[in-house]
Amino acid sequence: MIYAIAGLIAGIMIGLFFPLTVPAVYAKYMSVALLAALDTVFGGIRAALERTFDLSMYVTGFFTNSLLAVLLVFIGNRLGIDLYYVALICFGLRVFNNTASIRRLLLNRYTK
Amino acid sequence: MKQGRWAIAAVSVVLGVMLAVQYRSTLGIEENNINLQRAGDLAIQLEEVKKEKGHLEELLKKMREQGTVDTVKEENLKLRFNAGLTQVKGPGVIVTIDDSNVPIQKGENANLYLIHDEDILRVVNELRAGGAEALSINEQRLIGTSEIRCSGPTITVNGKIFTPPYVIKAVGDKKMLTAALNMRGGVVETLKHWGIQISIEQMQQIIIPPYTGVFRSEFGVSEEVQK
Repeated sequence: MIYAIAGLIAGIMIGLFFPLTVPAVYAKYMSVALLAALDTVFGGIRAALERTFDLSMYVTGFFTNSLLAVLLVFIGNRLGIDLYYVALICFGLRVFNNTASIRRLLLNRYTK
Repeated sequence: MKQGRWAIAAVSVVLGVMLAVQYRSTLGIEENNINLQRAGDLAIQLEEVKKEKGHLEELLKKMREQGTVDTVKEENLKLRFNAGLTQVKGPGVIVTIDDSNVPIQKGENANLYLIHDEDILRVVNELRAGGAEALSINEQRLIGTSEIRCSGPTITVNGKIFTPPYVIKAVGDKKMLTAALNMRGGVVETLKHWGIQISIEQMQQIIIPPYTGVFRSEFGVSEEVQK
């Protein structure tokens, strides 16, 4: 847990102090990738609380989910199907589901 | 287990970088809003400069009047009339043109129902052929170097942008001017075909403002010609 938080803070520092920006054209892909990554992270926290956390599943999921989401949105763009919103809604719903589960698990743990 | 911790840390670093980059990109969008504010500021500055210009023009006019003798003054006035630098008063016509009010059918080209610079040009050309002595579009005097040009849904005259309706004033023989426009197969008939609203008013007296812009004299040099 400490490693995760330390890594997150280090990443934010790197992102803020290095002049990395996403061109406006790729902003859509970036937001989809970010949402997919967030989904995996919340899924991971939930799995840890349920004691079913699997490291390789988590790490591979983090990268493949993001890349697949970007790839699908890209293909959709090429075919004229706006999969961007579909990805946003899908991952958004999953993030909220995961946070709800995390809340339930934590409540159960501390009230019992 | 030790490897696992590092893997989680690495994943977190990647997530952190993505979050920060996304945050910065969003900041960039807000900076665009500041640009809009800047546009507003510039508009205010433009307004002020315009006021100053009006003031200076008055000053210039006063100084010109002071420095002329009568005979020169008369010729000066004639030349200024020809150049479009004087306010002109007299009989003439007022032509008002507005976009079509015909509902556009699906699949039809909406462009056909809008006024274009060419339509205005045709009207102006017809008026000139009909003997108009002074012309203005939306109170903008037309002189020899005036342009009438399409700039998106608007037209530019003397570097100033106008939107419909366009009011074209012409001083000259009322009947001749009206007849020139209403010619069979002429400009009014063509425009009315597309439902463009065009009306011609014959007036006993209309006033056309003088040209207030600058003259270009960057490349040409005047030369006396022996007769």
